[in-house]
Amino acid sequence: MVKIEHKRARFVFRLGDLKLEWTIEPRYWRNHFIAIALLILLILGLSGKPDLLSLITTANIYACIAIPLAWQMTGTGRMNFGPQLFVGIGGFTAALASIYWGWNPWQSLFLTILVSLLFALLLSRLTVIAKGLYFSLITLLLPLIFLEFTNIFNRVFRGETGLSGIAHIIDVGDIGRNYLLGCLMSLGLMLVFLYVVDKVLRSRWGVYAAAINDNENVANMLGLNINRYKIVTFTMTSVMIGIAGWFAAHYFGTFAGVTYLPLQFMLKVLLVVMIGGRGEIYGCVVGAYFVALLEHFLTRIGPIHYILFPFILLLLLLALPEGLYGLYRRHRYKEYYPTLKVRKREI
Amino acid sequence: MSDTISIILIYTFILGSLYLLESLGFSLICGVLRVFHLGYGIAFVVTVYVTWMFMQKRGFGLGWAILAMCAFQCLFTLLVVYYPIVRRYLEKEEILLTALLLVAMIGEETANYFYPVTAGVDLPTGILPGITKIGKASVPNQMLVAAGIALLTTAAFVLFFLKTRVGLLMRAVSQDIKSAKLMGTNTERIYALAMVLSVIPPTICMLTIAPVYSIEPTLGWSLLQTAILVSILGGLGNLKGSIIAAYILGFVAALVSFAINPRLVNVASLMMVSLVLIFRPQGIGRSESLW
Amino acid sequence: MLLKIENVTKGFGAVKAVDGVSFDIHEGEIVGLIGPNGAGKTTLTNLISGLYKADGGRIDFLGTNIVGLPQFKICHLGISRTYQIPQPFPDLTAIANVVVGVLCGKHRINLSFGDALLEASHCLETVGLFGKRNVLAKDLTLFELRTLELARALATTPKLMIIDEVMAGLNPGQSLRAVRLIRRLKEEYRLTILWIEHVMKVITEASDRIEVLNYGKKIAEGPPKTVMNDPIVIGAYLGKKYARSRKA
Repeated sequence: MVKIEHKRARFVFRLGDLKLEWTIEPRYWRNHFIAIALLILLILGLSGKPDLLSLITTANIYACIAIPLAWQMTGTGRMNFGPQLFVGIGGFTAALASIYWGWNPWQSLFLTILVSLLFALLLSRLTVIAKGLYFSLITLLLPLIFLEFTNIFNRVFRGETGLSGIAHIIDVGDIGRNYLLGCLMSLGLMLVFLYVVDKVLRSRWGVYAAAINDNENVANMLGLNINRYKIVTFTMTSVMIGIAGWFAAHYFGTFAGVTYLPLQFMLKVLLVVMIGGRGEIYGCVVGAYFVALLEHFLTRIGPIHYILFPFILLLLLLALPEGLYGLYRRHRYKEYYPTLKVRKREI
Repeated sequence: MSDTISIILIYTFILGSLYLLESLGFSLICGVLRVFHLGYGIAFVVTVYVTWMFMQKRGFGLGWAILAMCAFQCLFTLLVVYYPIVRRYLEKEEILLTALLLVAMIGEETANYFYPVTAGVDLPTGILPGITKIGKASVPNQMLVAAGIALLTTAAFVLFFLKTRVGLLMRAVSQDIKSAKLMGTNTERIYALAMVLSVIPPTICMLTIAPVYSIEPTLGWSLLQTAILVSILGGLGNLKGSIIAAYILGFVAALVSFAINPRLVNVASLMMVSLVLIFRPQGIGRSESLW
Repeated sequence: MLLKIENVTKGFGAVKAVDGVSFDIHEGEIVGLIGPNGAGKTTLTNLISGLYKADGGRIDFLGTNIVGLPQFKICHLGISRTYQIPQPFPDLTAIANVVVGVLCGKHRINLSFGDALLEASHCLETVGLFGKRNVLAKDLTLFELRTLELARALATTPKLMIIDEVMAGLNPGQSLRAVRLIRRLKEEYRLTILWIEHVMKVITEASDRIEVLNYGKKIAEGPPKTVMNDPIVIGAYLGKKYARSRKA
């Protein structure tokens, strides 16, 4: 089926007509290993403090939402102003399956993927027919529609208070250990997402994404089937965001529509993408940790943090043209730095 | 049956006129600056809370408070929204939209910090108290007054665009900015003027419906949602389309409230606009320019 | 017969941009397409490459009717074009621009990303841009952008290449280099070229046959010398008075 050839450090996979190469280059892995090791040590070091562990998990969940979103925004060439729709879909599916049917987290993961896939396929037509600004507007409105539905079917979705009593992602008996293992799992999930999206963006599909983002019609003329690519990107990234919602539901044990669906959450995720590094996926990780830490430490100051939090984010948004990650990237060679577009100016 | 129909028609008129007033400023910005002002809700919040602040803190009378609030509104729009954000990032829309959302959120949180819902903010701007009975429907007089004022304001704006020189310049800028610049129009000033004009309808709207509307810091978002829906349905920035769209949405709201289920009003409007966007993305209007 | 255009029409509202144009292109030819501004040349190009759908008529490419096919399918059949105002992918490097063409231009088997990069380098070297392969496309000069367009169109291994006003904005030295390059590409890659141009000297020297459009209709065709002296063509460019005075 899949033929694998091996020549020194290069693996070649052949599947039918498709030929994929993977060159193993350990000399580029140093920074990544150091970062992962530091993060694992940090989590293990915080093992006695569940609130700080929840903070790290929140940061990881923001990153898990932002990484596929960054891919989606370049791959479909449109800005999605409503990523939290799929967080809601994933989270509610997991919560409902767990509470009403008593499924364990892995069974609800399977259901979450199915339901997210279904909704993503239904909505993917939008990427083809809706131009720039209209796509942003529709995606802005969709989570609000979903929120209204949850309010109407109050008995099922439990409106304001949300669903609680969702099975924890992993249960070894001791609550402290549960939180620690859950935090490590969130780190694992984020690393998996990061690896998958990074591999995709460095391959031919990454070049296709860049081409669609820059000029769709020209890419179409060069022989790229843009509609198929956009639909596939939208579906895959939406399923990934749904999985992030699944994890959030199972880790925190509760899931309320009012936490994840309104504009405030959308702004947080969007700012993770924009402040971290406009559309760069490593920047999303940096941005996620920054936003989560900022939120946590500002809460100590008192009720004024509600004003300070968006204010600081606004200042950073205006001051850093390339995001936080751009400060580091500026000193290194730029391969592809995407420009996010809401509306394209046709020549 | 005919009672329901008459109620629906009356409320179509009232709700449609109110929606029109709420979305007038939004359509104006959309048409002239071609910018989706997602921070539009801040105008409503500023109206209510700054007036209240002037009345409470400084002990102004209602009239003086309103005047002071208008001055504050204009300065705020120019110095905080237009010059630092809109003008700098007119081309980079992703930053622009996010920044405008953030400004609206900061404003709402500031209002919430100083005057949360429990502080009992209330503007005594009722003009006609009492209730009128039209057929079998009872309508608060204030809402009839608000609908009337909405029509007057819209008429004033339309006359401004059709009859005055500056209105003509604005229409020109909205249709083709490059040609307008070539003809010698000072587009910067037109933009600034458009932004200042766009806060007048929200101010009037909020002042007139304050007695019958629930005042809370988050009121900006639902009004913004209405403005977005009317604008999308009417064609982004098209004033003629927005007028028709406002009454269509008013009809949908009235129909769903009185004939189906009041809790489904929001969903019905949202779904209708989403469907329209999918099948006719330009909306009802013919062109994307102001008139 | 490579391309056969039969009675193609396209209107935008009340304006008929292309009105009943018919001609053929045979393999190995260089066909020139000229006409005053607004004659419908670029619209015809867009119709052939699939950006617009023709209102009426037939366009046959190697026997298949390509009216109504999506653009990428037309590219897979073997038609490629360049743009009047160069439209590269601005945030991608030159080699990445060409790699898109290599990977997508046709259904290729056993082509990995590394192999595609090699082929893209080869295309760039043919046009002379290999030294600038890692420069972002928004930093290239006009002439380099034009050659990048050619390289990118070439990477899709076309049978018919439509070249849209490649001389505009170039000085005489660059024009000469561009003509030599296109001639060389045609010989090496066995292309058929439909060349839209305004610079008469270039088009009369390079093409085997010329078609003339005016206000969307075809007004003349034939070898360059005949077309250039045709009074109808002169009348279209310079006015009927001048054509009459020349005849007299």
